[in-house]
Amino acid sequence: MSELNATKWVSDYGDMLYRYALPRVNDRETAKDLVQETFLAAWRNYDNFKGEISEKNWLFAILKNKIIDHFRKASTRLTDSLPGIADEDAYFDDAQHWTRVAAPQDWNFDTDAPIERKEFYKVLQMCKGKLKEIQNIVFTMKYLEGWESEDICKELNITASNYWVLIHRAKLQLRDCLEKNWFIQ
Amino acid sequence: MISCKEATKFISEREEGKLTFHQRWQLWQHLAICTFCRLFNKQNKVLINSVPHLHDHNDALLTQSEKEFIISSLEKS
Repeated sequence: MSELNATKWVSDYGDMLYRYALPRVNDRETAKDLVQETFLAAWRNYDNFKGEISEKNWLFAILKNKIIDHFRKASTRLTDSLPGIADEDAYFDDAQHWTRVAAPQDWNFDTDAPIERKEFYKVLQMCKGKLKEIQNIVFTMKYLEGWESEDICKELNITASNYWVLIHRAKLQLRDCLEKNWFIQ
Repeated sequence: MISCKEATKFISEREEGKLTFHQRWQLWQHLAICTFCRLFNKQNKVLINSVPHLHDHNDALLTQSEKEFIISSLEKS
């Protein structure tokens, strides 16, 4: 194993890690701090790095842990107000059917293939950035990190019913934002 | 008949196999007659298929001074 070189490490992996963290935490400062903590943890524990996975995958594994740690800490601060989550909203009327302004429109988009346009992802990121922090946390753990709902509830110490309300509302909001800012302008 | 609010919530629960047979049947019935929830169902797939690719399309960079700060913190540790 060659001697550790901080400059090379940061220039090889810094941006890559940062780009992974940023769309998850929606905040530049937080993403930068998580990358720094990742490098520090890796640097101090390099003796434990067995080389069974690549250095890059090892750093990513550390970063993913740091992101979840960050979410868990943030959620203890945010979930105090959870039981009172307002469930009334602009999407559904008194009979719980779509309101006229919020009802989905046809996007004229008929493929399941992932979209390849960079501009689309800018809009998606902007929309994701508008979620409430706790909504973003559950949505990210589920759909970007691929966790199961039970594990998310356990990690964040929230009830299943709170979880499904948060996911539901995050999706309603993201769908609405994508429609108004990308699919139908 | 379940409401649109319930139907859209069921769509997320279905992804994890959380619906009972009866709830699946209720959702199926609702989608058969509700254009809006059918659109939601389709658009939900677009959403959840694209979010995992967010970072592949992100071209954000750490600034040079942020990198230097990290490097110096490593060298000091």
